[in-house]
Amino acid sequence: MLFVLLMGVQAQRATSLKINEVLVINQDNFMDDYGKKHPWIEIYNSSPGTVDIGGCFLTTDMNNPKMYPIPKGDVLTKIKPRQHVLFWADNKPSRGTFHLSFTLDPEKSNFVALFNSDGRALIDSITIPAGQRVDISYGLIQDGWDQKRLNEELQLNSLYKGGDKLWVYYDGTVPAGMNRAREVTPSSNNVILDSNEKVENFKENDSTGVTMTITAMSVVFIALIILYFVFKYVGKTAVNLSRKRAMKASGLSKEQAKEVASESGEIYAAIAMAIYEATDAVHDDENTVLTIKNVARNYSPWSSKIYSLRELPKK
Amino acid sequence: MNFLSFLTENLETFLTYTGFANATPGHVVMIIVGLTFIYLAIAHEFEPMLLIPIGFGILIGNIPFKDAGLQLGIYEEGSVLNILYQGVTQGWYPPLIFLGIGAMTDFSALISNPKLMLIGAAAQFGIFGAYILALTFGFEPNQAGAIGIIGGADGPTAIFLSSKLAPNLMGAIAISAYSYMALVPVIQPPLMKLLTTNEERVIRMKPPRAVSQTEKIIFPITGLLLTCFLVPSGLPLLGMLFFGNLLKESGVTRRLAETARGPLIDTITILLGITVGASTQATQFLTWDSIKIFGLGALSFIIATTAGVLFVKFFNLFLKKDNKINPLIGNAGVSAVPDSARISQTIGLEYDPTNYLLMHAMGPNVAGVIGSAVAAGVLLGFLS
Repeated sequence: MLFVLLMGVQAQRATSLKINEVLVINQDNFMDDYGKKHPWIEIYNSSPGTVDIGGCFLTTDMNNPKMYPIPKGDVLTKIKPRQHVLFWADNKPSRGTFHLSFTLDPEKSNFVALFNSDGRALIDSITIPAGQRVDISYGLIQDGWDQKRLNEELQLNSLYKGGDKLWVYYDGTVPAGMNRAREVTPSSNNVILDSNEKVENFKENDSTGVTMTITAMSVVFIALIILYFVFKYVGKTAVNLSRKRAMKASGLSKEQAKEVASESGEIYAAIAMAIYEATDAVHDDENTVLTIKNVARNYSPWSSKIYSLRELPKK
Repeated sequence: MNFLSFLTENLETFLTYTGFANATPGHVVMIIVGLTFIYLAIAHEFEPMLLIPIGFGILIGNIPFKDAGLQLGIYEEGSVLNILYQGVTQGWYPPLIFLGIGAMTDFSALISNPKLMLIGAAAQFGIFGAYILALTFGFEPNQAGAIGIIGGADGPTAIFLSSKLAPNLMGAIAISAYSYMALVPVIQPPLMKLLTTNEERVIRMKPPRAVSQTEKIIFPITGLLLTCFLVPSGLPLLGMLFFGNLLKESGVTRRLAETARGPLIDTITILLGITVGASTQATQFLTWDSIKIFGLGALSFIIATTAGVLFVKFFNLFLKKDNKINPLIGNAGVSAVPDSARISQTIGLEYDPTNYLLMHAMGPNVAGVIGSAVAAGVLLGFLS
C-alpha cells in the first residue's frame, strides 16, 4: 500500500517537469563537457520539491516513446526545486547521462516529448517549428509556465507585457514594453529576475500604501465577519439544543427553559457552591490538615529510591 | 627565540582574541540595552518570560570576539548559535509557539459573544497605519510590511513575517515588537482614558454564557477551514493555532495539549528568545533603520489601540442599549495576550470596582491573534 502511495507521489512529481527551452542550431552557443556544440533541450522542474528525472524517457517520435531512457542512479538527474537540466541532442549516449541517442533536424520541424518512467504517460511535449535560426533558442515565455498560467496572467495582470504566446524566440531583442532583452539562457532561468516583481508593482502603483491597507483590512474583516456569522448561528443552535434537552429531561415548559443555557457559568458556579455549603459543608472543623510532611505518594519505579540503591552482593 | 619573548608574544596574541581588544562603542551600547531588558524584567516584571531570554541573548550576541573562523557568532554558518537560529530564519519556531498558544487559549469568551471578533479585526489598523508610515519613511514595500506587523503585537507573527519579507530587519523588528508588548501597560491606559467618556467606562456587559464542548470543538475546525481557505498564506500560523486549540478542546488528547502548552512552548520560547536576542550583534543592529523601526513600532501600537477603542464606540451606535460594549475592551484587540486584556480589567476596575472586564476583553484579545495572523498572511501573499 505504502509502496503504491510512494510510487504515486513519484509519478505525480515527475509530471511537474517541463520542456523549457530548446536550441536546434548551435553554432556559437553553449558547449558540452567535450567542448562540442550540439542542439540542446532544457528541462525545468516547476515543483517546490526535488524531482528525479532518471528513468523517464525523451523522444522525438510519439510512436517510440522509449527512444532515450534517462539513466537511473545518477545524482545529477535529481533536479532541485525550480531548477534545470540540459540534454545534448548529439546522438552520442555513451558520452554520459545527458547525451541523447538522437539529434534534432535543423531543416524540418522537430517534435520533442518527455515520457514518464512507465513509457506511456506523456509528461510534456513541444513541436519546434521548422526554420529555426542559428543560435536562437525557442523557449517558454516564463520558466515552467503552461497555457493556463499564461491565460491567468493575461486576464488578471494588466501590467503583463510578455504577449499572448507561450513559446517565444530568445533572439536577444527587447520586446515592446519590456526593459529586458530575451537572451538565450541554457541551464538558467528564461527570464532572469533581478528584482521582486510583486514588490516593484506595489512600489509603482501603491506608493502611499492605501490600496494595501484597504485590501488587507477588508480581508481581515471578511475573515472575522464570516467567523462571526458562523458562530452566531452555531451558538444559537447550541443554546436551542440545550434548552430542548432541559425540557425533555426535567419537563420544563418553554418559558422556563428560556432561562436555561443563556446563563453564564458564574451563576452555575454560585448555585453549585450554595448547594455544597447547604448540604455537607456545614461544620466548624476543616477537613484538611496542614502539615509539613509530604503526603502525596506518587509511586513510580522510576523515582523509587529502593530501586536506585546499589545492591550489595549477598554472601 | 628565547623563552621569554615567546611567552610575551603568546600573551599578546591571546590578548587580541579577548573581548576587550575587540570591543567597539556599539557593543557597549547593546550590552547596556541587554542589561536594561534584564533589569526591567526582574525589577518591574515587564514580560519576564520574554525579556530575560532576549536580554541575556543580547549580552551573548554582543560579546566582541576576533573573527578568526572560530565559529562563534550567530551569523557564522555552522556555529551552535547559528544552528539554533535556523528556527528563526527558516520560520519554524513561530508556528510551534502558535501551537502552544492554541493549546492554552480558551476561546469561549469569543464563542459566547462572537461580535467581539470584529474588535480584533479593527485593531489591525495598527499594522497598516505603520505600513503607510514606513513607506513615507522610505522603506521598500516588503520592508514596510514586515515593520507594520509590529502593530499586530504578536512576537511570533512578527518574526515569521519579517524572516520571509525582510530578513535583514528581523532583529530590530522582533526586539521592537517584544519591547512594546512589554510596554503595553505604559502605552495603552492614557489612550484609553483619553478616548472614552466616564459613562462609557462604566458600561456593564452581560456575563458570557456557558459554552458547550461541542461548540468549543467546532471552533478550531471551522476557524481553520474558513480563515485558511480565504488566506492560505496564513496556514503555518493559523494551522498550528487551531490545531493546538483542538488538542485542548477535544478532551481526549490531554497529554498532547499539556506538552504543547507546557514543555514545548517553553522550549521554543527559550530558543527563540535567546537567538533573537543574540541576533542583535552591534555590527548588524545599530543602524538608522533600527531606530526608525523603533519609532514606527511605537506609532503602530498607538494606532492599533486607538482603532480598537474607536471601533467599539462606533459599533455601539448600532447596538441595543443592553447589548452595548464597554470601549475599555477595545484596546484588547491588540493581541498582546493576555496583557492588553488585563489592562482593560484594571482600568475598568478603576472606574467601577465591581465591573470585571477580563473575560470580555479576552474575546477581542484572541480575535486579535487570528486577525494579525490573517493580516500577516495577506502581506506575505502580496509581497513575498
